Amino acid sequence: MSALSAEPIPRDTEHRSRTDARHDLIFRLALRFCALLVLAALLGAALSTLWGGRDVLFHDGLHFLLSSDWNPVENQFGALAPIVGTLVTSLIALILAVPVSFGIALFLTEIAPRWMRGPVGAAIELLAAIPSIIYGMWGLFVFVPFMSTYVEPWLSDYFGDASPSGGVQAVRLVIGTLILLIPTLPMFYGALHRWLHGMALTATALVLAISLSGALSYVLMFSVLPNLFNGPPLGLGLLTAGIVLAVMILPFISSVMREVFQTVPARLKESSYALGSTTWEVVWDIVLPYTRSAVIGGIFLGLGRALGETMAVTFVLGNSYNLTASLLMPGTSISSSIANEFNEAVGLHRSALIALGFLLFVVTFIVLLIARLMLRQLARKEGR
Amino acid sequence: MNDLAAASAAALTGASAPAKLKVRDVHFYYNGYQALKGINMDIPEKQVTAIIGPSGCGKSTLLRIFNRIYAIYPKLEAKGSIELDGENILDPAYSMNRLRTKVGMVFQKPVPFPMTIFENVAYGIRHHEKLSRADMEIRVEQALRSAALWDEVKDKLKQSALGLSGGQQQRLCIARGIALRPEVLLLDEPTSALDPIATGRIEQLVEELKHEYTIVIVTHNMQQAARVSDRTAFMYMGDLIEFDNTEKIFTKPGKKQTEDYITGRFG
Repeated sequence: MSALSAEPIPRDTEHRSRTDARHDLIFRLALRFCALLVLAALLGAALSTLWGGRDVLFHDGLHFLLSSDWNPVENQFGALAPIVGTLVTSLIALILAVPVSFGIALFLTEIAPRWMRGPVGAAIELLAAIPSIIYGMWGLFVFVPFMSTYVEPWLSDYFGDASPSGGVQAVRLVIGTLILLIPTLPMFYGALHRWLHGMALTATALVLAISLSGALSYVLMFSVLPNLFNGPPLGLGLLTAGIVLAVMILPFISSVMREVFQTVPARLKESSYALGSTTWEVVWDIVLPYTRSAVIGGIFLGLGRALGETMAVTFVLGNSYNLTASLLMPGTSISSSIANEFNEAVGLHRSALIALGFLLFVVTFIVLLIARLMLRQLARKEGR
Repeated sequence: MNDLAAASAAALTGASAPAKLKVRDVHFYYNGYQALKGINMDIPEKQVTAIIGPSGCGKSTLLRIFNRIYAIYPKLEAKGSIELDGENILDPAYSMNRLRTKVGMVFQKPVPFPMTIFENVAYGIRHHEKLSRADMEIRVEQALRSAALWDEVKDKLKQSALGLSGGQQQRLCIARGIALRPEVLLLDEPTSALDPIATGRIEQLVEELKHEYTIVIVTHNMQQAARVSDRTAFMYMGDLIEFDNTEKIFTKPGKKQTEDYITGRFG
């Protein structure tokens, strides 16, 4: 013992701390450089597309955003149709892909037997690795004929007609009302249960919910849906493109959701089960709130991809600058317009395409901004 | 057979209070590995029963059978029978929902749900009862009062439960458990993540709650078992070695293994 406590070992701590400080500095600077590189690349891309599009922006100004008249021969460039096409196809994709991804992720984390989780998870990730040109080809040769023979005739027969026969009218109204009752009935029930109880509560909520959903169903069935599903079953069009996009973004959203669902502590779920919750209640009340910001992040990752997707959309969208309300009609999107026309574009036309690219930047940026604001709002609501 | 089992159990426990839970020949398997090797014990009503033993002895496993929480995982299997008021809860026909309203559980680490303090307590109640807003407020207040938390949180019921201290969170979890008005309360090392002061409050709470609930507490802390429990079970390697009045276990244990453990010779 005495040998150990004798003399302090001489150490060159001065030198060591000097080299440490230097290494730390180099490390910090290297990391900062990497981060700044990304910012610089982003800013460079945004500014150069803005610069490239300056001609058409000066020439047409706001008209570029608000007009749907796109005619390269007469130097008319209005970008409304591609903007709307991009947003609508992406929205359809999200509406279809989010619930399905949610189901896949839940199944894989909460319900599937262990041996199934690996293979199915890998299959979903493989889906993400398929190049978009393959999706485009599949879309054009397989999916478009399927849509035009089976799905779209049915849609336009049952929903596309604004003034059908009495029987169809009644059936549509009743189905719409029943579906809308699912959200409205609990809504009224929840809102009224402070004042009413028992039968009075049930009856009042039922009457109010039926009248509200009946009215909504009427509007939906006789003025919204006929516009959306109106037109010849071409197969090509916004709806088809939206569905193909949904398949493409599904793996992104579901794999993010799967990852984050796995991060929910087992003890949190156990606590909920111990209070008598069902699997659904555990998922809806515990897993989702716990992972909410990551889930929203995953959804917006998918949305970002849908907004920018080019090849597959170009194949199945139909590439028409006619702006219609119908989802069955061909349309165009920002990226597919660029892909279709860059080859023969000169002068103002070329400038217009580059300006379209800038618009895609702006649209994506706005979408991400909305995501951020939503998350902040949610966080504030929770009192954090 | 039943009489025999009952008689031997009575001999084993020397029970005076009526048994709330009758554990009979319970075996438990994790993926084929046997974690419990035939447990027999009678948990007396409205008393505190502590289960002690070294890590891996099966004490938490046994506790997790009492509300069948193990059943949410695949490949876990319990054999034997556990009677709660004369009905076998291991029978698949015994409704899970009913079991979990009768048997509440509090876990090792405090696990508030990601919602407000009020909602944390109301959440479980909503699964089983439809209450008006006013009735719900009364129930939540009662539960928080019984868990000795009301005075600390009454002004911030609408705030997130994640902002509470560890000890408060654990009392919130107890409030959440007793809000369902269970008959049995299972505590799985409820103070292992808490500081001494918070631990003291929880122990005091257990003392108060035993007048209304049958409490089973698993603990690593022998002093805690000695302080709060009426009866203590010592488990080792999946066997119940000894189960007797707490005082006897800690002063005149009947088995050599028990003595070695409580005197700190192993474990």
